[in-house]
Amino acid sequence: MKRILIVDDAATVRLYHREILETANYAVEEAMNGIEALEKALQSPFDLYLVDINMPKLDGYGFLRELRGQDLPQAPAIMISTEAQANDEQRAYIAGANIYLIKPVKPDRLLTQVRLLLGDVYR
Amino acid sequence: MNPLLEQFLSEARDFLQGIGEKLMQLENAPDDAALMGELFRLVHTLKGNSGLFDFPEMTRVLHAGEDLMDAVRNGRVAYSRLLADCLLDAMDFVGMLCNEIEANGAMGVTHAGTSVRLVESLRQLMERDAAGPRHADTIETAEAETASGATEHPSASFRADLPLAVIPEAARMDAYRHAGAGHLLHWIAYTPSEQCFYQGEDPFFLARQTPELRWGCIEARDPWPPLAEMDAYCCLLDFCLLTAAPRAELEEHYRYVMDQVEIAPLPRLALVLPQGDSNGGPVYDDFATDARHLLATGDLVGLARNAGTMLELSNPDLWIASALRWLRLMLEIEPENRAALAVLVESLSRLAAPDWASIQIGTTGSAEHSEITRPSQPDDGQFVATASESRPMEPINQGQAMANGPASAEADALAAIVATQREILALTDDPAWLPGRIKAAAAALAGCLRVSVAPDALPGLETGLDAATTLALADNSGAALLAWLDGQFSPSLDLSDAEGAAADGSVNAEETTATMARESTTQAPLAPTPPPEGDGEIKFGRRAEDAIAGPKSLKVDQAKIDRLMNLIGEMVVAKNALPYLAGRAEAVFGVRELSRDIKGHYAVINRIAEEMQDAIMQVRMMPVSFVFQRFPRLVRDISRKLGKEVNLVLEGEETEADKNIIEALGDPLMHIVRNSLDHGIELPEVRRVAGKPAAGTLTLRAAQESDRVVIVIQDDGKGIDPDAIKRKAYAKGLIDEATLERIGDQEAVNLVFAAGFSTAEQVSDLSGRGVGMDVVRTAVDKVNGTLALTSERGRGTHLSLSLPLSMAVTNVMIVVSDGQRFGIPMDSVVETVRVPRAAIRTIKHSLATVLRGRIVPLKSINGLLGLDVAPKANADDELAVLVVRLGNEAVGLLVDDFRETLDIILKPMTGVLAGIPAYAGSALMGDGSVLMVLNVKEIL
Amino acid sequence: MSIEFKRNLAVFREVVSVEEAEGLLEWLQKKPTAKVDLGACVHLHPANLQVLMAAKPVIQTWPTDAQLRVWLESALVAH
Repeated sequence: MKRILIVDDAATVRLYHREILETANYAVEEAMNGIEALEKALQSPFDLYLVDINMPKLDGYGFLRELRGQDLPQAPAIMISTEAQANDEQRAYIAGANIYLIKPVKPDRLLTQVRLLLGDVYR
Repeated sequence: MNPLLEQFLSEARDFLQGIGEKLMQLENAPDDAALMGELFRLVHTLKGNSGLFDFPEMTRVLHAGEDLMDAVRNGRVAYSRLLADCLLDAMDFVGMLCNEIEANGAMGVTHAGTSVRLVESLRQLMERDAAGPRHADTIETAEAETASGATEHPSASFRADLPLAVIPEAARMDAYRHAGAGHLLHWIAYTPSEQCFYQGEDPFFLARQTPELRWGCIEARDPWPPLAEMDAYCCLLDFCLLTAAPRAELEEHYRYVMDQVEIAPLPRLALVLPQGDSNGGPVYDDFATDARHLLATGDLVGLARNAGTMLELSNPDLWIASALRWLRLMLEIEPENRAALAVLVESLSRLAAPDWASIQIGTTGSAEHSEITRPSQPDDGQFVATASESRPMEPINQGQAMANGPASAEADALAAIVATQREILALTDDPAWLPGRIKAAAAALAGCLRVSVAPDALPGLETGLDAATTLALADNSGAALLAWLDGQFSPSLDLSDAEGAAADGSVNAEETTATMARESTTQAPLAPTPPPEGDGEIKFGRRAEDAIAGPKSLKVDQAKIDRLMNLIGEMVVAKNALPYLAGRAEAVFGVRELSRDIKGHYAVINRIAEEMQDAIMQVRMMPVSFVFQRFPRLVRDISRKLGKEVNLVLEGEETEADKNIIEALGDPLMHIVRNSLDHGIELPEVRRVAGKPAAGTLTLRAAQESDRVVIVIQDDGKGIDPDAIKRKAYAKGLIDEATLERIGDQEAVNLVFAAGFSTAEQVSDLSGRGVGMDVVRTAVDKVNGTLALTSERGRGTHLSLSLPLSMAVTNVMIVVSDGQRFGIPMDSVVETVRVPRAAIRTIKHSLATVLRGRIVPLKSINGLLGLDVAPKANADDELAVLVVRLGNEAVGLLVDDFRETLDIILKPMTGVLAGIPAYAGSALMGDGSVLMVLNVKEIL
Repeated sequence: MSIEFKRNLAVFREVVSVEEAEGLLEWLQKKPTAKVDLGACVHLHPANLQVLMAAKPVIQTWPTDAQLRVWLESALVAH
């Protein structure tokens, strides 16, 4: 089972994404901020990261920069943002995100992205 | 989905259904005021609920519906079929939003248009009818008008003539400086609705609170009428604002009035608008020539110096001085923007407004920066601003991709991911984390490969990808991977072409690079694997349910619990027959042993029955937190809206009580809290002046006290002014002059609970419209609760609600009169006394007696029930008097005799008996007989 | 009362609420030469503001609250 880390400070959002991903048979773990996410990734790298931008302690950009700076197997990251700033998209890619989605992400859309990034085919 | 939202949705459904039913009933009885009132309440409450969440589209529609129903209820608008249709449409829309919220956990973002349209049609009904009730024959035209009105959207284009020149230069410079520091400027035109004051809005306050406000002005919408004809409560003000806050923040701030607000990005250079007297001053030609030269040679320091010198020579009121000030500021803020500087220098030489349209203003800012797209009028600075359409990553256009159905959605998503990785690899920065970024992009591409190529082609392609990745990492640049990608399919090739190629089965060797050459015979172009038929769409809700294994709690229909409750009631009664049976076994049949056995079994059954009853009660118990949990958000929103600072303290949330009690608590608490926020807690500045902390404290505390749950609502606000209350109560005719004179402060404070008393003349969506504290008292009364209000001026208000833990069991006293037994609920019983016949007097045809110095009127229960029999006295010629409480007074009921008190399960009267108000209900007794329980208030 | 009506002067204090507007309008109708003191006012509901805009009384004292003063001047001072 592929492991996905949801990094978001909002419990509701984590729950929301968790339910989507678990229905598609992914093993989901959660982190409430960038620091916690980084600790988890260092312990055991994930197959995909779902990253919020605004978080306390270490935000999404910071987390991705740190993650990409580690000597680890690197996995794709989806950055999830509110529509607030158009500039975020570019910043996200520079920091190391691979996909940039805008909240709220519909379940089927999220799953499409996740499956493509992980190379999982619908069967 | 969170419990609060879940609660909201299920309640919303009930309301929507209720609204639908009421509307249907109204078709048959359009003049039924009670029905109308009920309908209004449903819409009103639903609107209130929706306001707890961020669903402005929903709230907006419900708000319009509520206003309309309010107008109908007050006879300002006539009820009509068309009106019902409009309202039903609106409710369908709300229902649709609820479904969407339930399915996706959030509401889609595409409903603003529909909501505005619905609001318009609801408001139109009101406006058209305000002149007078409409007749059926005009409905056709009205319908047509509504339809045409519905297609009109609020003007999307922004008006071109922004009165920027009105803004003082200092404010414009300040905003310009801000914009130079990276903030986007926005111009807001806020046109509050004429009725907004009635909705409790304060548009001025809202405007003043605009985030990052740089400047604002207020204008009259029309010339003012003569004072004698003026309506102070019809809002005729417009607000113009200049702010440096991002659009999202502004939309959030104005989200409740989005339909009344236009927000347009404002290029900062539009603010560079020299003003002043254009005549006089030194000769400028030389300066302009020099300035052009200095600008051309890049000597900005020299240019600034020259401008400074010129400025000293010029009268500051002159146009040229203003232009020079701007020049100096621009040199400071954006010296690199030569084109803009040149425009200003040109304008200086011509003594005419700068022609900003000749350059693109948004050049140095972010992608969101705006451009001037139309030549401006040179003299007044008019222009049209439009947001730039540029998007850094054009392929990531999910909305468009989704529109083409699942298969093509996946293809588009795949193309988008590949295109994005291409962008990422093409980034030219060189951060420390670049290797990680390259690896991640490679990982993303590997995923795409796996879903899009035939299994036998995969290994080769993966090797190629790995090789390119290694190369890229060695170079510390994405170039090698980019080259590999380009080799897979040219950057311009879109996916449908790739699919076409796949269909042809053609494998084009030219598409591969040297890196890939050896795999060229086995590779296939990237193409998506189409999802299996019929399974393309994932039903989130269903799958989510499937995934929940062994839930810890069950959702049970209330009716099932009620049935259990009834059954245990019958069980308790049925088991009570066993002692009778035991008695009979012994007395009639003489089998003592059997009698003992029966008694033994009775004890067991009794214990089980009691435990079972307790367990069922437990099922119905809910924590107070169910009601409390909505308050943090409510208090936050309301206090923000009112500009107050409030700390909410919740205590004892785990305290439990019966479901009915908890549910009955919701509305009263809401009213009380809103009252506290509206009228209790003062504005921060007022509090500071009074020597209190700026933030008020509102405490909600629940605790169990023996068999009651006590809820305390306490604030440290300004308290209640008893004199003001007295005056108001007198003015409203609730008390007479004599009462006004003698009434004490505490009594006066309690007048707020009197029906028809509402301290707020102002109708707001916070304290509701004319729904005052009397509603609180009624609701608390209904569940046999009591409430006590104390208040200290300047120190705060303390309100305590005491409610029974459970309503299921009623404690009654049994009395006998005319040979029949009746139950009287114990909460209305004060005492039982026996009064000698001699102590009973007749005062004005009524019986009365004196108990402890107070005159207590006496009524015969036989008389009240229409039984033509005199009360029986006992052997000592004393009459049995049951003293009951009726409001604040005591009344004695003459009965024949008292019996025991008993816990019973009260069943409301049904069928034809339901119409007899004298009885609160009936209960089955242990011997199988039926006890009628009197409704004391009704019979007296 | 957050508006105190003296003989020919209306003194606004703290926050002047929407309820005051009706009374203010009536008073200003009766006193065409009335003056207004806004010195101690920190906010006024716009219903009051538009009454002032329509009646155009002399503003004897502007608010000490500088931000409020700028707003009110935009509405009450003829351009």
